[in-house]
Amino acid sequence: MGGHILEQNLTREASDAALLSARGLNKYYGGLRALRDVDLDIVRGEIIALVGDNGAGKSTLIKTLSGAIVPDGGDIVFDGSSVSFHKPTDAQDVGIETVHQSLGLVDELDVPQNVFLGRELTRKVLGAITVLDKATMRQRTHDLLQNFSIGLPTLNEPVRRLSGGQRQTIAISRLLLAEPQLLIMDEPMAALGVDEGSKVLALVERLREQGITTLIISHNLEHVFSIADRIAVMKNGAMIGVVKTSDVTREDIVSMITIGQA
Amino acid sequence: MISTVKTGAPDKSIGQSDKKFRFDSLGLTLAFLALIVMFSLINPRFASYGNLLNVLTQTSTYVIVAMGMTLVITKGGIDLSVGSLMALVTCVAFGLIESGVHYVPALIIMFLLAMTLGALNGAIITFLAVPALIATLGTMVAFRGVALLHSAGKLYFGLPPEVVWLGQGAILGVPVPIYIAAIFILVTHWLFNLSRFGVHVRAVGGNREAARLAGIPVTRIEVAVYTYMGIAVALGGLIWMARIDGTQATLGTAMEIHIIAATIIGGTSLFGGRGSLYGTLIGALLLTMLNNALVIAGVEFFWQLVVVGVIVIAAVTINNIRENRIDWINQLRGRRAANRSKPG
Ligand SMILES: Nc1ncnc2c1ncn2[C@@H]1O[C@H](COP(=O)(O)OP(=O)(O)O)[C@@H](O)[C@H]1O
Ligand SMILES: [Mg+2]
Repeated sequence: MGGHILEQNLTREASDAALLSARGLNKYYGGLRALRDVDLDIVRGEIIALVGDNGAGKSTLIKTLSGAIVPDGGDIVFDGSSVSFHKPTDAQDVGIETVHQSLGLVDELDVPQNVFLGRELTRKVLGAITVLDKATMRQRTHDLLQNFSIGLPTLNEPVRRLSGGQRQTIAISRLLLAEPQLLIMDEPMAALGVDEGSKVLALVERLREQGITTLIISHNLEHVFSIADRIAVMKNGAMIGVVKTSDVTREDIVSMITIGQA
Repeated sequence: MISTVKTGAPDKSIGQSDKKFRFDSLGLTLAFLALIVMFSLINPRFASYGNLLNVLTQTSTYVIVAMGMTLVITKGGIDLSVGSLMALVTCVAFGLIESGVHYVPALIIMFLLAMTLGALNGAIITFLAVPALIATLGTMVAFRGVALLHSAGKLYFGLPPEVVWLGQGAILGVPVPIYIAAIFILVTHWLFNLSRFGVHVRAVGGNREAARLAGIPVTRIEVAVYTYMGIAVALGGLIWMARIDGTQATLGTAMEIHIIAATIIGGTSLFGGRGSLYGTLIGALLLTMLNNALVIAGVEFFWQLVVVGVIVIAAVTINNIRENRIDWINQLRGRRAANRSKPG
């Protein structure tokens, strides 16, 4: 991949290398305009960070990209074809998996049930009766978590009893099951200790080596500068700019976030 | 530090069930056994094989309806209309049979009607966003009204012998209702504990938004759960009307409180997401035994209602204490813990 695709200002036409191109996204919550004509290109294979103050519209933007909400206007092109997502499974079907800020875990279910939620494995018994394949799901959950190097004391606990970091781990492992093209994470490190946070960072980098593109929202500029190829900055619902990480300093990003100028 | 999932050696945790859950159902089972021993000591005839079958037969309708209620409550709902729905569909079935319709199509219509009205409950709740308590309070009154209109105060009796057999017959000395209840429990067990549907019911009850984001068809699950409740009501009603070979529009009055009591005693959480069919079975048996004992002791029916009402409130309270849901108790506990950790 040439460096030319990581240009500071992408043109309004979707680049060929873009895995996802969003144009003119808008979202209103009553009178509040949470997204203002937002454009975003996500380049195949990159890690792109999305930063901005609380209430800037970051979560709203990624919800439109993951089908959790339907935008009030705008177009999305994914992998060369025009898409419109009306529900989360529409986005999952094309290969976009998302960890939302709320994690999307069911407290009363155990670890494998949460990891496989909505795509449970089944098997046949007596040739006719379909039942959950609990053993395989537990084994695959076990294998996934092992990759992660963040441990859990047991898989059989309702996740209600687990720590923030353990819950985050489960929420992320969920996504890897589907072998997504684009992984979207909303503040995945927010609930984690330093140790667990760096493990998640290492995992995201490992996923890039496997060809998975990642859009990650983070408040932690140290994390952002250590893993992101590019940084997208939002303020008051608008996209202020997208810059190459190697072209800017932290001070530049801080002023983009606060003053709203590139 | 969090310990890591063990690697290499076979994982002992695989296939092992939740310890807390096992403890909960153990506590309930012990209470159940203690009650049996107590009743047997008071009245030696209680523990006889004949009386045991009798208790099981009496419980069969309640157990079947309570199986449906376990799904409904785990989904985060409630259904107050079960007793009225049972009255309505049994009256309709009787009316058809009386007017000369063969019992097979009459019973099929009875089941389809119960499923449709169950689905109606689900649709009101999921599509009109009416809270389950209010929606089924409304249909509880409405179904009863239709049953009264339909039967015009009539007492129905005289079913064909084939239908009566379902309530009064026996196979190998064991009453037929017990077989029917056992089969229904097995089917519900498959649905609730072994199929994807069961996980989705818990997910919708535990965290509706998470279920939606995971691609679970939340509204379809909601309607399906109430439709299954309808099937349970029709089956329970079939056994009931066959056992007494009759029905009337006032059948099943206050049934909902018994059904909800059995379910909650069994550990199913009113807050949704967690339910136990085994607990519900034990809960239903406990209630029948208690009612039996009260009858034998000559306690008036109205006092039985008082006892069941108190049990429901007590069961929910015990659950709340276990799940730390009561603020002032939490504060007391916190203060006591703080005192204990004070030096000197
Ligand atoms: N469901 C909602 N209803 C109404 N307003 C909302 C809703 N979700 C978000 N908002 C508002 O939209 C704006 C953007 O929110 P959000 O996308 O969550 O910001 P961020 O993730 O950048 O902190 C905020 O002002 C927020 O209050
Ligand atoms: Mg946010």
